[in-house]
Amino acid sequence: MKQYDVIVIGAGNGGLTAAANCAKAGLSTLLLERHNIPGGSASSFVRGRFEFEPSLHELSGVGKEDEVGSVSNMFHKLGAKINWITENSTFRLVVPAKDGDKDAFINDDGVLVSVDARMPVGFENFAKKLDEIVPGSYEPAMKAFGLSTRMYEAFDALGEGDDFSGIFKALPYFPDLMRMTTHTLNEGLDALGMPKKAQDIFSTYWSYMGVPGAQFDFLYYLTVMHSYVMNGAGMPKYRSHELSLSIDKVIRDNGGEIWYNSEVTSVIMKDGKPAGVVVNGDKEIYAKQFICNASPDFVWSDLIGKKDAPEKQLRMSNARKTAASLTTVYLGMNKTKEELGIKDYSVFIANSANSDEQFAGSQNYDGNYCIINCLNHVIPDCTPPGTSMLFLTTITFDDVMKDVRPQDYKKYKNKVAKLMIEQCEKALNIKIQPYIEEIEIALPPTFSRYLNTPYGTPYGYRLEMWDSMIPRTIQFAQDQPYDNFIFCGASQERGDGYGCAYHSGEKAANIVIKSLSKEGK
Amino acid sequence: MSSPIKSLTVKKFPSLLSGRQKKFKTGSTELPSGTDSARELARALHPDFQYLTVAEVIERAPDCKSFRLIPDSNRGTKKLAYFAAGKYLTVFENINGLQVTRAYSISSSPKDSLDGKYELTVKGVEGGAVSNYILINWTPGTEVKVSAPAGNFEYQPLRDAKTVIGLAGGSGITPFVSMANAVADGDEDFNLILIYGSRNEDSILFKDELDKIAAKTNKFKVVHVLSEPNNSDSDPGFEKGFITSELIKKYAPFDEPYSIFICGPQQMYNYLDNELKSLGLEKKYIRRETFGEVHNPASFSDYPSDVPDTVNVTVTICDETKTVSGSTSDTVMQILEKQGIAVPSRCRSGECGFCHSHLISGKVYIPENLDYRRMADKMYDCIHPCCAFPLTDIVINVPAAK
Repeated sequence: MKQYDVIVIGAGNGGLTAAANCAKAGLSTLLLERHNIPGGSASSFVRGRFEFEPSLHELSGVGKEDEVGSVSNMFHKLGAKINWITENSTFRLVVPAKDGDKDAFINDDGVLVSVDARMPVGFENFAKKLDEIVPGSYEPAMKAFGLSTRMYEAFDALGEGDDFSGIFKALPYFPDLMRMTTHTLNEGLDALGMPKKAQDIFSTYWSYMGVPGAQFDFLYYLTVMHSYVMNGAGMPKYRSHELSLSIDKVIRDNGGEIWYNSEVTSVIMKDGKPAGVVVNGDKEIYAKQFICNASPDFVWSDLIGKKDAPEKQLRMSNARKTAASLTTVYLGMNKTKEELGIKDYSVFIANSANSDEQFAGSQNYDGNYCIINCLNHVIPDCTPPGTSMLFLTTITFDDVMKDVRPQDYKKYKNKVAKLMIEQCEKALNIKIQPYIEEIEIALPPTFSRYLNTPYGTPYGYRLEMWDSMIPRTIQFAQDQPYDNFIFCGASQERGDGYGCAYHSGEKAANIVIKSLSKEGK
Repeated sequence: MSSPIKSLTVKKFPSLLSGRQKKFKTGSTELPSGTDSARELARALHPDFQYLTVAEVIERAPDCKSFRLIPDSNRGTKKLAYFAAGKYLTVFENINGLQVTRAYSISSSPKDSLDGKYELTVKGVEGGAVSNYILINWTPGTEVKVSAPAGNFEYQPLRDAKTVIGLAGGSGITPFVSMANAVADGDEDFNLILIYGSRNEDSILFKDELDKIAAKTNKFKVVHVLSEPNNSDSDPGFEKGFITSELIKKYAPFDEPYSIFICGPQQMYNYLDNELKSLGLEKKYIRRETFGEVHNPASFSDYPSDVPDTVNVTVTICDETKTVSGSTSDTVMQILEKQGIAVPSRCRSGECGFCHSHLISGKVYIPENLDYRRMADKMYDCIHPCCAFPLTDIVINVPAAK
């Protein structure tokens, strides 16, 4: 009977870095993936002459040419080479005017808007721009970035590198950290005296984590904001498939094995803890340690079952809310971005500038909220000459499709896509529909199919105040179900995002490596 | 350093950690249901496999039969997956101990699948091992295993023109029969003008069915084009000759855009490439089904010389490694299948990427027009074995067959 040191379940971003770090440390490593390619969300797909990016909007932590960020450093340490391209803007927020808005004005695009905020990279630049739009917001914005800078210094000072587990001991020395993690984004910005309208613009990135201003803890939002505004974001030149294949190679070059089309269909329990897994219903494989990138809810329901699932884990699954689901429309356009009149990489379009109102409007598809991205803005030659690609994203929660039958699905998808396209056309005063050469529409069932998570969420559990990053980090060890089985991925301490998932896999690997070396391996 | 957020209390912090544990205790001890609306839809539309039984065989022409397939609940398929007209099913067959697959377009209406019926239509081809096997061996009661509906050859209202000119040759008619039905059923909303090339009246497939659909709706119309008409083929509605740009113009709307959908044999694609140029259509208005395997790689102009006749293929699938030898005129997939090694496959035309594999060493030839790989695949030596021909001994990692 062959026994591996470690089996990693799922080759999403977390599973990939977990397996790569284990293999690099010399552990016999088997990575099992139910699909035929690695990456989960981090992949790509080809339609006609376009290769689409399925999920990545912007990756923070890539750094700049002269400076290595935490994510690019992770790839560098693994020996994976990535063709990074960096983007020098953050976001643009456009809110078309509602009837009776006395402050509405006509912007450069000829659209009557309540808000049009095109925000630059750099703390000082960002704060100045915000102040231009909403006078009196420079000081509060700079104070916010001051706080986030101190938080990063605090994390570094804890001396644990990327692992914040020592944070609890140090907390009494960081009263602001305690304040920030127990207050919402809205409360924090109020305390800084930021005008409401500026708060709305400042909170634009809420949907990247799926929690709006009244529910998002101030600390985590500020650190997210900090990382995007400080250096801008990066993208791999050859879509996220490049990221995933580069780690795939690291795993194999270091003696690790990856089996694709190999779905773990149950976990073999022995003495109350995992001893092995069954692959594709019939093949038993054993290991000392397990790292699991699969959704915890589905691990309990599909792989382990009531008898062997720890009661606490069931309670945790049931007490937590599923995070946001996404809907994305991928468009291959037979016009360039200039011909289309697209001026930005990332435009957030909403009926209200306020994140809580945007969240409230995300309970169904009604054209309230849409992010439009044009990858050619970052990677000009990402499509053939004379063309461009767009992707439109909106966010929903839970059971938004409960009445949709399989035979209605195609029509439903197209209705949603049309609504999103028209919202963008109107808000930017551009034409999209006549120039669509390729289109693909991904709704929560699409994400469910590829990610195998509740409601297809790529985001794990909702980062509510009571279950936000700091308490998740401090209680990480006690959150794990067995002493030889660790979860990684978006369900873990930092929630969603490529960087967060990569980190979670690295952290899980480090725990396994330590634990096996103690055993005298 | 003074704090800019002094007004926020630090006192809430101690209860944050205990509060989280308390909150967890409020969760029930029930097993999570493992089901939700998104997962149910995904599973209904994209099952890994569907287990079916042949219910009826319909002779369409001397060398062509349609097979009505119904779900086999004893083997676990209770409902058929719904599909958009134009999709194909990959059929899994075991012929003399070899696992083989073929993709066939569904010829029935999507709505029929709600009543538990799919129809696949198979035409015999010279040397076509799988089609000929099916024509002889599938009889009422035969157990069949197929994939979920797949493929990208379908009408897309946000992309395509309101009118589609369908150009069909031979058995390439099958997806259009499904589309015509879908239009008549109201499942799809577009005008379909089908220009269908056959040798003579006797070789027209689905003639009566297409006429019946055309009688039901003014959104569907069929034009038969006969290349070698018999003297008796005197219906004045028949066009004679080939599907030319002139003929397309004759039936296409002259005052609004139209899309062209093509499905037929390779020769028809080559011929139409030239004909369509003169129509000056935007690329977005021309779509074609990628159909069938490519054989005879040496016929491509960029195929290298000095390729040995046979090579060794060393393949690792999960924890099993084997070395087999095969002909360089076969694809890597065919070489493995001929040795009884099952590999993942769906479209067998390079497009779907289901057979995505890692080439560890050696060289392969991939015809340029079948190279649908992602950019990073090329950087990391990933190939689609269904359209890669070995040029040297190769070592390859292939996912488990599924």
